[in-house]
Amino acid sequence: MGKQQRATSRKAQAAIVAQRGRQINWVLTVGGLIIVGLVAAIGIVAFNATNNDEPTAGSGKLVTPANLTSTGAIPVGKPAAPVTVEIVLDYMCPACGKFEQANGGELDRLIQAGTTKVELRPISFLDRTSQGTRYSTRAANAMATVADRAPDKVWAFNNALYDSQPQEGTRGLSNQQIADLAIQAGVGQAVVDAFDERIFEPWVANVTEAAFASGVQGTPTVKINGTVFEGDVYRPGPLTQAIEAAAKSGT
Amino acid sequence: MTELLTTLHRIRHANAWIFGTMLVSSVLSLIASFVLSVDAVKLAADPTAELSCNINQVISCGTVAAAWQSQLLGFPNAFLGLIAEPVVITIAAACLGGVRFPRWFMFAAQVVYAIGFGFAYWLFYQSMFHIGALCPWCLLVTISTTLVFATLTHVNIRDNNLFLPARLQTALASGLRANLDLVIVVIWLLIVVLAVVVKYGDLLFG
Repeated sequence: MGKQQRATSRKAQAAIVAQRGRQINWVLTVGGLIIVGLVAAIGIVAFNATNNDEPTAGSGKLVTPANLTSTGAIPVGKPAAPVTVEIVLDYMCPACGKFEQANGGELDRLIQAGTTKVELRPISFLDRTSQGTRYSTRAANAMATVADRAPDKVWAFNNALYDSQPQEGTRGLSNQQIADLAIQAGVGQAVVDAFDERIFEPWVANVTEAAFASGVQGTPTVKINGTVFEGDVYRPGPLTQAIEAAAKSGT
Repeated sequence: MTELLTTLHRIRHANAWIFGTMLVSSVLSLIASFVLSVDAVKLAADPTAELSCNINQVISCGTVAAAWQSQLLGFPNAFLGLIAEPVVITIAAACLGGVRFPRWFMFAAQVVYAIGFGFAYWLFYQSMFHIGALCPWCLLVTISTTLVFATLTHVNIRDNNLFLPARLQTALASGLRANLDLVIVVIWLLIVVLAVVVKYGDLLFG
């Protein structure tokens, strides 16, 4: 190889290296800009999310509904009624639906007669059975909103939710369907509009945690004057008898 | 400065770095698959079991595990990870030890892993937009699958294992030398993070 040739090949090599260098610079510059942009976008979105202090949209801020009992349940019926029936329920739970079918009418009658009052604790442990739509939480939040703002419609809305209870494992009722049921149960439009604000979702989560912490195993859990009712809750009769017995004995 | 860049460049295209990344990523994937499989078995025995990663309404393995997408083939998807990741670990470890697999072998690995990669992102999409919840272990699988796929593609382009037309092979190889793959992977992962933050930021940081 002559001197000149060697020089040329060195030059060519240098040119290739230089070109490669430019290519790398080009990629790194454009790529770097895009990366910086993305990191900034992530930072801005995260920052905005942190500073989003609305007490709504499941922000985690605990808002307790008004009109609860001293133990934090949703009351139905006359406060002076001698017997208290406490029901821990999940609006997605099929057994709760069966319980309601068997005893709803009887409870209705006993509430009217002033024999018993009912305390509802709607929980959300079956959220995972609604394909990610968290039906239990949405229904319980709607119920808490009604308890907060239209307490005299709680029982009607409770019954309406059970009458249209979705099957476990489905997406559950849509927000619109829940709202329609509330309207049919006589809840005012302004109250129904507040369902979408998800104000009481943290409260529902708290009730759920508290229920399991207090030894609830599943739903429905029914207590008569604080004692778990162990009888058959899936056919009409036994619960009524137990309530009437409790009313008579005055315990 | 230039020397440092050149050194970094050399390290990045060396077997030790590429297969090391592949090995670490596939081990992480295997661990995640194992945890998810155990959870799936737990949930099958007791549908109300509380999983350690049910942190809030968005970060919830239970919600994700209960969705039909998580048993696409009739058994928990995580079982696929238990089957596939040990193979990737073996390939990565062997290559680290200096083994050179035949071209067809690496090509087949690329094709099979591409299917896994597609599946991982289909699941990520379903989890984000249809199930409405994320599970940390699934996200770990998404990210480490991305890294394994990226390193496998890197090495297969570098070693011309993909039976590509000559011009395409040349173009891709020069893209590799220009670190285009690194830039693409970083941008790709940042887009994933951005998507999660945009969709669920309110609930994650709120």
